[in-house]
Amino acid sequence: MSFLAPLFLAGLGLVAIPVIIHLTQRQRREPIAFPSLMFLRQIPFRSVKRQRIRHWLLFILRAAAVVLLAVAFARPLLDRPLGITATGGGREVVILLDHSYSMGYGDRWDRGVRAARRAVEGLGPDDRATLVLFADRAVAASPRTADGAVLQAALNGATLSARGTHYAPALELARELLQQSERPRREAVLITDFQASGWDRSEQVRLPEGAGLTRVDLSDPAPHNVAVTGIAVERLSRSGPDRVAVTARVVNRSPDPVPEQRVTLRIDGSPVETALAVLPANGGAVARFAPVPVPSRPVRATVEIAGDALPTDDRFHAVITPRRAIPVLLVEHPDAPPAERIYVRRALEIGDDPPMDMTTGQGAIGAEELAGRAVVIVNDAPLPTAAAASRMRRFVEAGGGLLVVLGRRTAQSQAAGLLPGTAGQALDRLADRGGTLADFDYDHPVFEVFRAPRSGDLTAARIFRYRRFDPDDSVRVLARFDDGAVALAERRVGAGRVMVWTAGFDNFWGDLPVQPVFLPFVHQLVRYLARYVPADPWVTAGDVLDLGSLDASAAGAAARTEWVVEAPSGARVMEETRGGARYVSFEEQGFYELRPVGKDGAARRIVAVNLDARESDLARLDPTEFAAAVVPAAGAGARAASLDVTLSPEERERRQGLWWYLLVAVLLLLVAETVLANRRPRRGPATV
Amino acid sequence: MTAPRFLDPAVLGRIDTLELLARTVVDGFINGLHHAPYLGRSIDFAEHRAYMPGDDIRRIDWRVFGRTDRFYVKEFEADTNTNFSVLLDISRSMDFGSGAITKLDYARYLAACLTYFSRQQRDRVGLVTFDRDVVERVPPSAKHLDTVLHELDRVRPGAAGALAWPLRKIADTVRRRSILVLISDFYEDPQEVARAVRYLRGKGNDVIVFHVLDPAERTFPFEGAGEFEDLESGERIPVVPEELRERYRTMVADHIAEVGRLLVQDRMDYCLFDTSTPLDFALFEYLSRRERLVRVR
Repeated sequence: MSFLAPLFLAGLGLVAIPVIIHLTQRQRREPIAFPSLMFLRQIPFRSVKRQRIRHWLLFILRAAAVVLLAVAFARPLLDRPLGITATGGGREVVILLDHSYSMGYGDRWDRGVRAARRAVEGLGPDDRATLVLFADRAVAASPRTADGAVLQAALNGATLSARGTHYAPALELARELLQQSERPRREAVLITDFQASGWDRSEQVRLPEGAGLTRVDLSDPAPHNVAVTGIAVERLSRSGPDRVAVTARVVNRSPDPVPEQRVTLRIDGSPVETALAVLPANGGAVARFAPVPVPSRPVRATVEIAGDALPTDDRFHAVITPRRAIPVLLVEHPDAPPAERIYVRRALEIGDDPPMDMTTGQGAIGAEELAGRAVVIVNDAPLPTAAAASRMRRFVEAGGGLLVVLGRRTAQSQAAGLLPGTAGQALDRLADRGGTLADFDYDHPVFEVFRAPRSGDLTAARIFRYRRFDPDDSVRVLARFDDGAVALAERRVGAGRVMVWTAGFDNFWGDLPVQPVFLPFVHQLVRYLARYVPADPWVTAGDVLDLGSLDASAAGAAARTEWVVEAPSGARVMEETRGGARYVSFEEQGFYELRPVGKDGAARRIVAVNLDARESDLARLDPTEFAAAVVPAAGAGARAASLDVTLSPEERERRQGLWWYLLVAVLLLLVAETVLANRRPRRGPATV
Repeated sequence: MTAPRFLDPAVLGRIDTLELLARTVVDGFINGLHHAPYLGRSIDFAEHRAYMPGDDIRRIDWRVFGRTDRFYVKEFEADTNTNFSVLLDISRSMDFGSGAITKLDYARYLAACLTYFSRQQRDRVGLVTFDRDVVERVPPSAKHLDTVLHELDRVRPGAAGALAWPLRKIADTVRRRSILVLISDFYEDPQEVARAVRYLRGKGNDVIVFHVLDPAERTFPFEGAGEFEDLESGERIPVVPEELRERYRTMVADHIAEVGRLLVQDRMDYCLFDTSTPLDFALFEYLSRRERLVRVR
């Protein structure tokens, strides 16, 4: 039994009225004059006596009338199994059960599972159903079956996920399942909390024509939820001990302010500091923690608050990693004056995200110089030959990066076998007052950051001279000058990358080095060549990690590494393979640990997984509007019908019509009360 | 359908004058309140008896001596010269009635009837009204019937009542043996009532006590919680009648029984009158009982 208008149940409090009436009796306003109170005074007056209910039958009649009236107005709904009773052929039913983490609020999940079980129990012998669990993606948890036991078993295995809500995939899957069915009667049972954040009205996903929708609304009338929606880790020192300042954002998603919210920072599980945040109604606040030193290993940081009705979003995890510089070997020409070297050097010295550990060299590059380097920049210097070239090649094939900057001192024939093409003579553009960079591959990671307006204009630089470069077929040209000549080209060699810049990095061949965009350009080149991926402090549940990107860091080479992934619950997560890529999906909230098989512990990785903060907003969308958007209209007047197409009119009336009987019962009770009350002896004689 | 045998007090209440009321009630009686306590001179011959030395020779019937040559003296029924006084309690508590008339009205009718009846027997009639003190006093006299009735007619409820003091004062003023009819509701402790009434018996007075109560005072038929106000003191107390009705009835019955027992024990006539009881019926019942008692004595 449930109620369509449960607020009217507050009327049950009116039962106090007959109780009070029968307990206290009606007090006369005028006292009764009596000859003498000498006898009445001798009888002790006991208030307890006054509180005894008199006229029990009348009291019961009146109280029952009040109770039934309140229940009738609350519109009782018979809690029979969901769905249409099996009449006239089997149905195709898709049970969509929301298992996003917002369903963990209060007892929503238990109610949802019970509703799903009722839907299963309501299936007729000719019906067929599929159980679909959905959050931001939808998965059929059971095959399409008429066997209720299979569906119940699937429900037994259903658990809450750490993902947010997104209705479109679930509706899309339901639409496909219903469309594939040959049965004339098709129905989707949507069991959810109707979270507004999960519904994008622009995603016009509709159920097939003729399909109905049964809504089971599990939302709460006034949910209160406080969540930690994010943390920021700020590095405070560029030299000396590495320290980070953690700042957490706490959001109160309820109409009541929280005057004092305790927010605790834990590092590797140990509480470090507790801050107080004042949360306004439907607002947020920032909790700042004192800076903490960062050890030389990754640590687990967690910001948490006291648990509420939705405890899963009361904590936020992050991994704080020590800062690691990119080791760069800068090879310069011995004859190059300092004025020509300064631009690249300064560019590499500046920057802390990440910092670059620059080493300079001249002449032949030995193995010891390459050791531990991630990137080698040959800045208008002779390219290695013979054995040095072989070492360089192995270095690149193992995953290293090589940037060759062609300048006025670059020999034409030295690039054979290593450069992604052939360098030619220098072209002079002084005649037309210099050329410009005109064509960029903005999809490439190097130029991706410059795609947006006002994010660095490489075309502003005037290039007076550059060296002709004929790329090989395997080369990817990333930038060209306005005359079509190659400015930047790339070639993959083994696991590494080789890039060629044809216009030098001094201000003799052009003014790019003195342009503001030069510094980020060089940094982008180095990051790309070093295959630098900034370590995200956390990822969101549902994200995936390309294990291939970890192989190099683990092995220091291109060798494939097997990873053991352990979820926060302790379960082993199997890697998935798709299209040759190996990846792992993070489905739990907490810290995942990734250990390379056969490697030492230094290669271990920790990944913090957090919930989608949008899901903590428990605002509810209008189920009627939702149904109107999802259920297809079949002509004029069908829209209104589609809103309630969840049940047949007869069944709907059967389930909701109880209130009529209650009102009749109330009427009968009141008639009986009137008769009985009039039969009661009236009050005593009046005084004369 | 037969006519009611007795007169409804409510009907009596509509009779304007007390004299007419008393006559209406009393005319049906055949027995008086009392026999004359003395044999004396009167016009009513009683009997002859033989002369005895010491008899007044003026009472010798000479005609009988002429026929019989013996001395006989005449005996006559004496004229009644008894003082008959009604002692009427007019305290505020008497001004209560759940029906058509109050206790005070009923008592006034009763007093009028008794006075009228006594006067028919040639008694000297008088009246004393009192509450906590004597309010009005009409000395017994053969000519005071009208005065008594007039005084009864103008009686109004007085103050709070108390028996001891006024009855003591009344007892002090009674000079000769009298018939005293005390009419009250006796809202006092039975012992106090008996002690106060005992003053009246002091001089050999014949004391008749009429206890007048309203039916509501005996049955307590009230319903619904409310305040009850004492007519005399004005005190109010909250009462749930349903809760204490039985106990109240028991207490009142005990009170009545105790008052009656103590007064009868002091050889006084006690009679309880309910204002719903027809007045002539009540008088009839009382006089019949008194007649029987006199014969026994």
